[in-house]
Amino acid sequence: MAEATTGRRPGVRFMSRSRLTGLLTVATVIALWFLLTSVTGLVGEFRFPSPPDFLAAFARLASTGYAGGTLLEQALQSLRLVAIGFAAAIAVGVPLGFVMGYDRRAEAFFNPIFLVLRPIPPLAWIPLAIVWLGLGDASKVLVIFVAAFVPSVINTYTGVRNVQRTLIEAALVHGAGQGRLIREVYLPDAAPMIFTGLRLSLQASWTTLVAAELVGAFLGMGRVLSTAYRDINTAMILVSMVCIAVLGAITMMILARVERSVIRWRKT
Amino acid sequence: MSERLPLWAWSAAGLILFFGLWQGAVSSGAVSSFVLPSPLEVLERMWKLMNQPFAGALLHEHLLSSFGRFMGGFLLAAVIGVPLGLMMGRFRLLEDIVTPLFEGYRYVAPLAWVPFAALWFGTGIGGPIMVIFTGAFAPCVINAYRGARLVDSYLIEAAQTHGASEFRVAREVLLPGALPSIVAGLRIAAGLGWQSLIGAELIVVSSGIGFVMVQGQSNLSPSTVMTAMAVIGLTGLLIDIGLRQIESRVRAKWEGR
Amino acid sequence: MSEIVIDNVGKVFGEGGGRPFLAIDGVDLRVEDREVISVVGPSGCGKTTLMRMVAGLEHPTSGEVRVGGKRVTGPGPDRAVVFQQFALFPWKTVRENITFGMRSRGATKAERDAAVAHYLTLMKMEGTEDKYPHQLSGGMQQRVAIARSYATDPGVLLMDEPFGALDAQTRTIMQEELVRLTNDNPRTVMFITHSVEEAVYLADRVVVMARNPGRIREIIDVATTRKAEKWSEEPIDDVMEMPSFTHLRGQVWRLLREQMGSDI
Repeated sequence: MAEATTGRRPGVRFMSRSRLTGLLTVATVIALWFLLTSVTGLVGEFRFPSPPDFLAAFARLASTGYAGGTLLEQALQSLRLVAIGFAAAIAVGVPLGFVMGYDRRAEAFFNPIFLVLRPIPPLAWIPLAIVWLGLGDASKVLVIFVAAFVPSVINTYTGVRNVQRTLIEAALVHGAGQGRLIREVYLPDAAPMIFTGLRLSLQASWTTLVAAELVGAFLGMGRVLSTAYRDINTAMILVSMVCIAVLGAITMMILARVERSVIRWRKT
Repeated sequence: MSERLPLWAWSAAGLILFFGLWQGAVSSGAVSSFVLPSPLEVLERMWKLMNQPFAGALLHEHLLSSFGRFMGGFLLAAVIGVPLGLMMGRFRLLEDIVTPLFEGYRYVAPLAWVPFAALWFGTGIGGPIMVIFTGAFAPCVINAYRGARLVDSYLIEAAQTHGASEFRVAREVLLPGALPSIVAGLRIAAGLGWQSLIGAELIVVSSGIGFVMVQGQSNLSPSTVMTAMAVIGLTGLLIDIGLRQIESRVRAKWEGR
Repeated sequence: MSEIVIDNVGKVFGEGGGRPFLAIDGVDLRVEDREVISVVGPSGCGKTTLMRMVAGLEHPTSGEVRVGGKRVTGPGPDRAVVFQQFALFPWKTVRENITFGMRSRGATKAERDAAVAHYLTLMKMEGTEDKYPHQLSGGMQQRVAIARSYATDPGVLLMDEPFGALDAQTRTIMQEELVRLTNDNPRTVMFITHSVEEAVYLADRVVVMARNPGRIREIIDVATTRKAEKWSEEPIDDVMEMPSFTHLRGQVWRLLREQMGSDI
């Protein structure tokens, strides 16, 4: 993805060797792709699409739409579900993880329950969610919630658990009460770890959403993918895979930007 | 007063409350057992599935076929991913070539590979193995790469000045030096691979523990679904415990040098 | 008045679980108001534990600690601690770090700004108020930590090997600055160190501790010699070569060496 942005500027003054190699790799792969599909036809269209097919499929999805909606509608549907599930999960998960890390009794209380639930992979919740809530948005939000919940709890808990003892003592001997201790010592010291948790949560949200939409959905990028699979439309399969990856990457970049603006004190 | 309560009592209270509320909600009739079967009903169902074929096989037979697929995909990911990661850590050129492709691949959710996997390798064994592979591959590569980068360059130079070939450097310096990181990566890979398999079985496969869930779902039998969830969770836990054993052994050996 | 009274204090670790370990046994010590004492002793003699009990970060198993006549039950604004690892908040700027303790007391913005300006001038660190700790050298970081403690205006300053993590040159400069600081702004100071020279140079009295169990071996008076020989008017390197200094240093050394002998 980074390659695409450098590609926009042909007049780069200086290009590192590794970046050049990277560009060459991408160019080679694209050339090979052309060679194997359009030029020689070694790989048939039912195995892998040719670049023109890929572009045509993309144009079709973007303009007239596919599987019940245009690219924008499908992407917005998926984005909306991820946003709701992810937000709900961290709104509950981060405070819970914080309490578990802060208070030994809360830790003792919740940890065993976690040990029971944690080994169940988020994807394994999909059938249960469908039995409970059907194929609509609610079941998707539920599985995203389950998927994103665990990493946000675990990492917040670990981060708070490992807050540096001396900083807590420094705050105490300089008269900080519980409120300031939490706001000005625990939270900032645990922040990098909390963000690690959020990144993992976001990743899990996308993985789970795609799976849930593949299992059954009326709209969304996973629905595009499963329809394309049923139609054996390899070009559309590839288009939806790329779109899902790009959507995931965009949300990760937004999160990274939020992290950078929150954690300004770190060495770079 | 609560300060006096020992911590294990809090743990016990948590578990009792969790299972108690669950069982109580169903027993009291507040929640229909058709929606949420009680823990006891799930155990009962598990017993039945182990003695009476469901969706074509007994529960442990389904589990075995899932586990076989898992091992296939996981080993493939390890056998390809670890050497690739080590070489990327050793040779700058390879790192530069692979990195852009790898970055792109990493953002594709493993389950999004299911259609291609099914088209290329079928829905029997090949397809699911490819899905597990795509899930487990990234951590194998990343951790081997990081581990290799952490190996002291003096050690590599020392090996070279003593006339070691590139192959011996890889086998006798890079691999052991990176081993703790590699084993940690394998643990992550196993978790992701196991979960990808379940996803694949939900979508395209017609046997295995994930298929049991799908059947339970379409029969509207939450007790079957939850039985499968328990079995999946337990198996994942056992895989993780096994790898954790290996990890702690490697660490003990390396750090207690 | 901020005198420290350590009254027959004992400390046992690991009571309840594990093997109990007697860290400190029957320590009696009185530090007068505005007196500077340093505490030296072999590792494991409990000097840091003793300081932490004065700070209120640990609690004596027997006996009690009183500061300014009040029994110590926890950390309080009358006692500030300077830690060996500086313990600056990495997410706070120099200004925010220095004023951390002042904000606990509810100091106004004007007061805080004045204090920051005052201490940064005193520490010769003007213009660094908006820097983060990681942008400063180790010596500067410890200056900020000392300023943070001074800024709360405590009667008692507790220092736990504050210069232990610094290189030799920075350390010497800091020692000199601390003497200047405590001369200009006298406080009751308890200074923990494992450097004999530092202990003798900085303190009015040197408390030598022994271990197994941790207890006071001897207290050596330095203040009388320092005044008579006018140490504070000479640079640190010259003081450390004066016969009066080397004499005292040897005295402390012998007490410590005695213990090492008993170990072997």
